[in-house]
Amino acid sequence: MLTQISKWFSATPVPCPLCGRSSAQTSSKPPIPVRHPAARRVLSTLCASCLVGIPWIVAPICRVCGRAEDCQDCVRRKVRYYNRSRCSVRYDSLMKDWLALYKYRGHEKLEPVLAAMLAFAYERLNDELGSRNTYPFFHTITSVPLAPERLQERGFNQAERLAVQLSQWYGIRCRPLLARLRHTEKQSLKTRQSRVNDMMGNFAATSAVDSTDNLPNSVHRIILIDDVYTTGSTINECARVLKESSAPDSPAEIYGLLWARS
Amino acid sequence: MRIRGTVVEDKRGRELSAAVDLACQHLAGRALLREEAVQLLSQHLPDSTNGLEVLQLAALQGKVQLTTAVAPAPQKPWRLLRRSKQRLHCRRCGSHEDKMRRTYCAACGNMCAYCEACLTLGRSRECELLVIGAPDHSQVGLPGPAATPDLIQRWGLSPAQSAAAGAALQFISRPHAESATPQNFLLWAVTGAGKTEMIFPLLDAVLSKGGRALVATPRRDVVLELAPRLAKAFPNRTMTTLYGGSKERWESGDLTVATTHQLLRFQEAFDLVIIDELDAFPYHNDPMLQFAANKCCKKFGSTLFLSATPPAAMQRAAARGRLPCARVPVRFHQHPLPVPKRMAMPPATRWLSKRKLPSHVAKPITESIRRGAQIFLFVPYVRQVAPLVNLLRDCSPQLGIEPQHIDGTSSKDLQRADKVTFFRNRTIQLLVTTTILERGVTVPKSDVFVLDADNPLFDSASLVQMAGRAGRSAEDPHGRVYFASNSLTISQRGAIRQIRSMNRLARKQGYLL
Repeated sequence: MLTQISKWFSATPVPCPLCGRSSAQTSSKPPIPVRHPAARRVLSTLCASCLVGIPWIVAPICRVCGRAEDCQDCVRRKVRYYNRSRCSVRYDSLMKDWLALYKYRGHEKLEPVLAAMLAFAYERLNDELGSRNTYPFFHTITSVPLAPERLQERGFNQAERLAVQLSQWYGIRCRPLLARLRHTEKQSLKTRQSRVNDMMGNFAATSAVDSTDNLPNSVHRIILIDDVYTTGSTINECARVLKESSAPDSPAEIYGLLWARS
Repeated sequence: MRIRGTVVEDKRGRELSAAVDLACQHLAGRALLREEAVQLLSQHLPDSTNGLEVLQLAALQGKVQLTTAVAPAPQKPWRLLRRSKQRLHCRRCGSHEDKMRRTYCAACGNMCAYCEACLTLGRSRECELLVIGAPDHSQVGLPGPAATPDLIQRWGLSPAQSAAAGAALQFISRPHAESATPQNFLLWAVTGAGKTEMIFPLLDAVLSKGGRALVATPRRDVVLELAPRLAKAFPNRTMTTLYGGSKERWESGDLTVATTHQLLRFQEAFDLVIIDELDAFPYHNDPMLQFAANKCCKKFGSTLFLSATPPAAMQRAAARGRLPCARVPVRFHQHPLPVPKRMAMPPATRWLSKRKLPSHVAKPITESIRRGAQIFLFVPYVRQVAPLVNLLRDCSPQLGIEPQHIDGTSSKDLQRADKVTFFRNRTIQLLVTTTILERGVTVPKSDVFVLDADNPLFDSASLVQMAGRAGRSAEDPHGRVYFASNSLTISQRGAIRQIRSMNRLARKQGYLL
């Protein structure tokens, strides 16, 4: 009876957007490693057991791609067009499930959660470049595009959605700079070499990559967003296209920002 | 040239209309999203035909209904007076506005709602097509009441079982009024009554008249266990087994065994729908699955609910005569159900942290071990399993059992299936577990202890189910059941009352040995 009465006065438990279980108020949650208040608010809706399961990449080993272990892809790559890229989490089986739920099942309720997780990588990248106080350090956010057929089928472009959310949180303008020319098979079904070859000539710049509100002769820093980094061939190809189409008086610098590193 | 053209078109037209007929046959009683329908058609039609083309022609001929998967809900008359925003509902799973989520959709270019409730079976959204096959309104002529006895005799049932099966059979072969909606029947059989055997004559009656029957249960492992038994009982019928990831997804047979989620893909398909364990998770308290169960039954079909512990609302409806019901108050071995004994015990958290087993808990456990019974020890929380196993192992000399014969399992345990097997073949004698094993596990000669039986997680249905683990075999029909708790709750009292009343009913009807 007493428990019944106390229930009337306690806050209604909010179900965790991922597992659907309502989190107990008392259970202690692990710290949330994101600074932005909106992103923190989103992550605090997760229950403790889901929050514990997130494999954050706190200390990247590879300085180029932000992998949490030794990385052969970055050593093997001949030409790199992007400056560096950072990822929020390791792509383990739990993260695979979450992404599948969002991307393939189409559970768009998870969108803010994934965006908030991506905010972790953004803040790390920002800190690394020593730009915590020079606000905003980056000029543009863009995302890896989806082939029109795939977009039609899925109904949304996950990378673009994440980009829009980040741009709103951090006040950086979001521009669709790229278009996908060819409809390639799903990336997740291919080997490394075929991915690299496949990506060639896959993207085109939609408009001149200009930076009108920049001073001339200054660097135009672009963040390129995608969901999963596997070999980096997509990011590299996109970066090449962006660099080549950038105005000569303000050369583009591309920074990859990805949700997960496999 | 013109003549040749028409000949080609004519041939193509004939092919297409043949494909339409075949498609309608396979789509009958289905409710599928566009992509699912195309998948189904590609499996059954020749490769050269375009699934969408066939669907279009079938829809134009009125043989298939094409609608949006998420549509405006019919307005309640009193809502028309108020200016309220448009309310949507999912045509496939019946979920309402609270499960709808509106997002910008690149496929239709609008803010477009999708249904969150049935997401696991493909996304149902406003710009998505739902293909509904024409329902088959033909009524199966079922055998009249005269044929009932020999239909039942064939299956070798006990007197109590045949009485209930007979009542159910009379119900499903009742004459239908023209405006009849699918009607429900409750078969309330105690734990260990042999529910599965009772459905055989019913399925037989429907299948022998060319009807389609469905056996659905909320749990996948039950489907996998049931399918071979049914296949053995009905070797001449085609059978489809449906569950998440099943290979027979787009087949249709006379008899379908499915998890309740799969029912969302059907509409007015079956003459007889049997829902087993309707009070089990996730069917219980899920309006979506209940909608699905209602939807998949034909207009003149019948739905049969099977349960040992029907939900309170259903029990009330049965008692007031609103829900036709048959009770099987006795087990197949015709001994009364073991009545749970109350046992006072301080809350488990208190003595678990002190690592001390109360002597009045240890005593009955020791007795059960001495009589050589398998012991189920139920606790409310997963986190209590490991400490309790450790404590019991420490106390094992006092209990008179080897420490390696004590083990624990829970929903988080990956070796659960192995441990249950070990428990069955008596390698483990004392198994500490949570409600995960409250149903479906049958172990001969077993005793049951429910610790902290006053915990709100144990409602009276789960207490009855747990008590139902004891005394399942004819060799040891009088297993012991203990509810150990600090206080006597309504659930415990209700469970004991329910077991006693079933025993009383059995005695009155003369089913007991």
